[in-house]
Amino acid sequence: MVPDPPRELREVVAAVRSGTASAEEETRGILDRIERFDPGLNAFHEVFAEEALAAAREIDRRVAAGDDPGPLAGAVIAVKDNIATTLGRTTCSSRMLESWRSPFNATCVERLLAAGAIVVGKTNLDEFAMGSSGEHCAWGPVRNPWDPERVPGGSSAGSAAAVAAGLCHAALGSDTGGSIRQPAAFTGCVGLKPSYGRVSRYGLVAFGSSLDQVGPLTRSVADAALLLEVIGGNDRLDSTSAATDVAGIAAAAESGTGRLDGVRVGLPSEYLSDSNHPAVNESVRAAAAAMERLGATLVEVHLPLTEIGISTYYVIAPAEASSNLARFDGIRYGRRAEPRAGEDLESIYARSRGEGFGAEVQRRIMIGTYVLSAGYYDAYYRRALQVRRLIGEEFARAFTACDVLLGPTAPTPAFKLGSQRDPLSMYLCDVYTVNAPIAGICGVSVPGGFVEEDGKPLPMGLQLQAPAFAEGGLLRAAACLETALGRCPLAC
Amino acid sequence: MAANATPRIRSTRLIVGLEIHVELATRTKMFSRAPSPACPEFQDSEPNTLVDPVVAGLPGALPVMNRRAVEMSAMVGMALGCTIARTSRWDRKNYFYPDLPKGYQISQYDLPLCGDGAIDIPAAAGGTARIGIIRAHLEEDTGKLGHELPGGQRYEGSLVDLNRAGTPLLEIVTEPDFACAEDVVTFAQELRTLCMFLGVTEGVMQRGHMRFEPNINVVIDTEDGREYRTPVVEVKNLNSFRALRGAIEHEASRQVEAWLADGRVMGPGAKSTRGWDDERQVTLLQREKEDAHDYRYFPDPDLVEVEIDEAWLEAIRAELPELPMARRERFVREFGMLEKDARVLVGDRELCRFFESCQQQAVTAGMPAPEAGAGVAKILLNAGAKRSNERGVAIHELGIGPARVAGIAKLRADGAIDAQGGDALFGILCERDEDPAALAAAEGLIKVRDDAAMDRWIAESIEANAAAAEDVRSGKQAAIGRLVGHVMKASGGAADAKEVRERMLERLGGGA
Repeated sequence: MVPDPPRELREVVAAVRSGTASAEEETRGILDRIERFDPGLNAFHEVFAEEALAAAREIDRRVAAGDDPGPLAGAVIAVKDNIATTLGRTTCSSRMLESWRSPFNATCVERLLAAGAIVVGKTNLDEFAMGSSGEHCAWGPVRNPWDPERVPGGSSAGSAAAVAAGLCHAALGSDTGGSIRQPAAFTGCVGLKPSYGRVSRYGLVAFGSSLDQVGPLTRSVADAALLLEVIGGNDRLDSTSAATDVAGIAAAAESGTGRLDGVRVGLPSEYLSDSNHPAVNESVRAAAAAMERLGATLVEVHLPLTEIGISTYYVIAPAEASSNLARFDGIRYGRRAEPRAGEDLESIYARSRGEGFGAEVQRRIMIGTYVLSAGYYDAYYRRALQVRRLIGEEFARAFTACDVLLGPTAPTPAFKLGSQRDPLSMYLCDVYTVNAPIAGICGVSVPGGFVEEDGKPLPMGLQLQAPAFAEGGLLRAAACLETALGRCPLAC
Repeated sequence: MAANATPRIRSTRLIVGLEIHVELATRTKMFSRAPSPACPEFQDSEPNTLVDPVVAGLPGALPVMNRRAVEMSAMVGMALGCTIARTSRWDRKNYFYPDLPKGYQISQYDLPLCGDGAIDIPAAAGGTARIGIIRAHLEEDTGKLGHELPGGQRYEGSLVDLNRAGTPLLEIVTEPDFACAEDVVTFAQELRTLCMFLGVTEGVMQRGHMRFEPNINVVIDTEDGREYRTPVVEVKNLNSFRALRGAIEHEASRQVEAWLADGRVMGPGAKSTRGWDDERQVTLLQREKEDAHDYRYFPDPDLVEVEIDEAWLEAIRAELPELPMARRERFVREFGMLEKDARVLVGDRELCRFFESCQQQAVTAGMPAPEAGAGVAKILLNAGAKRSNERGVAIHELGIGPARVAGIAKLRADGAIDAQGGDALFGILCERDEDPAALAAAEGLIKVRDDAAMDRWIAESIEANAAAAEDVRSGKQAAIGRLVGHVMKASGGAADAKEVRERMLERLGGGA
């Protein structure tokens, strides 16, 4: 019998690899849960039940034949629907790509499959990864498994909800300004945004190319480390992927005796803002104390540019997006408006894009087009690049005084669906997450306890950040914190 | 300015700058592994077969730079005397068009690969003209729009062919240093030869391997001592030297007429773009610059900067062959060739290679290098060019091998055959491979020589120049000139100097 709720990824893999569990049975268990819980969550766009079972049987056959089924054998993984898969469609939750089938797999997906993972389905997201709530979706919002009246965060909304509800063992998300970490915080998952260049972007449908990273959403830090080792590493199809070795991260994350002796933890005062939910600040202080008890030294650091990160991000990301999304013109693929008699090309473009893109995507395309325009480039885009450099330098200075930075992942726990009507207040949800992608450093959100709202427990997230390519140290600190604070249970 | 108020023109002066697009003949495209149509192997591919996810701009596809295209561009840059940037960058040029799959073109905006060069060309006005090169940068070509189905049937809508999309394109921009159409054409031809020599393009104009865009205006001096500059016109997409010349010549007169009619001069917003009508031999207005695009250039975040270190630069430099201009000068100097003959031989890289191996073979066969060069050149440019014209086959592809050409040159130099004999031998050796000397004998082409007369002249010469003869006998070979000269004079120039020299040495026993 397959345990329900399901076990964590590494336990499943160990059991499947040793032949004590059947990948097919594990997969069936997951598929049953999807059938039970997903109608209330809308986490999945598509579920590949038959294909997943066939892949699982193949894993079982390999185990039985004595072949090495791979380091992720039997792990059932959900993939955010802005990551290209030959299986099913890759819609980016956009009407523009409603029926798009990719002829190739993203590099990260290829690596998952090669490692024996089973891709179970594609998860819902804010359209083209633009949004922080999981509401900007072409086919309905994703709901938070802890409280269906609340958002799961975004944009990796479906991936986070699926992991939190036990509808997969782990999921892939993408993070441009917080899209892995913030939904992980809202749903009680572990969400890792790797350093820029750590994971190949080949096959990730681009939003902000200089910021985008694929990363795992999991139930434990160790699972995240294991997944990173599989999907990370150099890829010659992505010129920005780093040659830095990815091996050893999982081992580093588990090394030591659960203590943090000698580790300097920076606690920037800017992260404990009065505008945060009080429980959020409390949970950060509690985490700091816990880390100190484990032997870490708390260091006071200052990151005065934290707040300005939002305005920097909302120039750079839309600028890149306006160009990245130009390819969706309805000419070669994707949605094309019904042509009208005598209509010129310009009008077909405008109507196809007007019909295909949702409001938030259109807003960002317009902002991006504006900030790159002649006469505004210097005032906005160039200035933003200058501030970007300063933010990087500020982090670099902070990391001379500390090894990891501790703070909240988001200023509040999950908010109610439809409560953030103003785009600007929505953008402010990302205040603690945009700076890591701006600087290219790595960051992870781990569960940091609960706060009760409307009689329901809501998870909160703690964010740890470390210098670029210091995921080993980052995840080790995160693992210690996780042990000290306890795991977050499944939401259902 | 009203036409009746226009002062009389004293003189006009043409100013032309040139932009040249060269499609680089790499095997794969600029940013993907899809085969390139600029590579001969793939040039006739069916529409939309040279396409992969990167070329088609599919969601999630990413560009990866083709290093060979960078190397080829740097070679052209070096040959044009440019500085090769140690760091250059890729930028996105954003605009919508159905032949542009990504909605932007990857190009180089403010950090181009090559900058600040110059080359000298023979000027129409005499002497040389120095043409400055502002920059040369790399970019990707677009696809093509067509309205014809395969087979030639007309199609109502537009058809997109992405085969050309993503082909590496080197854009070279000159200073406005040209004073006449002739010089522009000379430069363009020179550049084509150069690029073909560097092996960076096949240089087939009809296939669009090179496209020209001249920027043209005219400085008008009037009799009241004032100077007027007509608005700059850019003529797009010229793909033959004839069109290039025609467009510039047409603009030179059209702009003066336009100025006489409307008095418009150069200034902000006055620049326009025109196209060339090859049938009517006129340029036609395409658009005024007022409605020029804002391309919203910004650095492409998908690509890293191009860093060329010393080692890479050296490796590229080591690849540079002797450039056509230098080679031409050397042929004139070393082989005593006419400039015009050298131009023909250097005009085509393969022909030039063929010529050089013929010359090498002739040297191997015992001919001194200069005579070997002159001898084989004469054969290739006479007997070779004649058959090349007749058959429409390049000289080096007529079927005759370098050793055979050298053999004919040797027979000619030895005086064994005459020019007609050489031509006949060449013709036969294009058809079948045989030893030229044996063939000449079999065909009865060997000249009958008057050995008795030769012996007599030699004896007379020795007698008349006893002292020189004695010097030669004692090993001073330099003295032989006088003896040979005597024989040549006696023969009325008919004797073969080389043969005389050999026989003289034989007789005097001073030979090496």
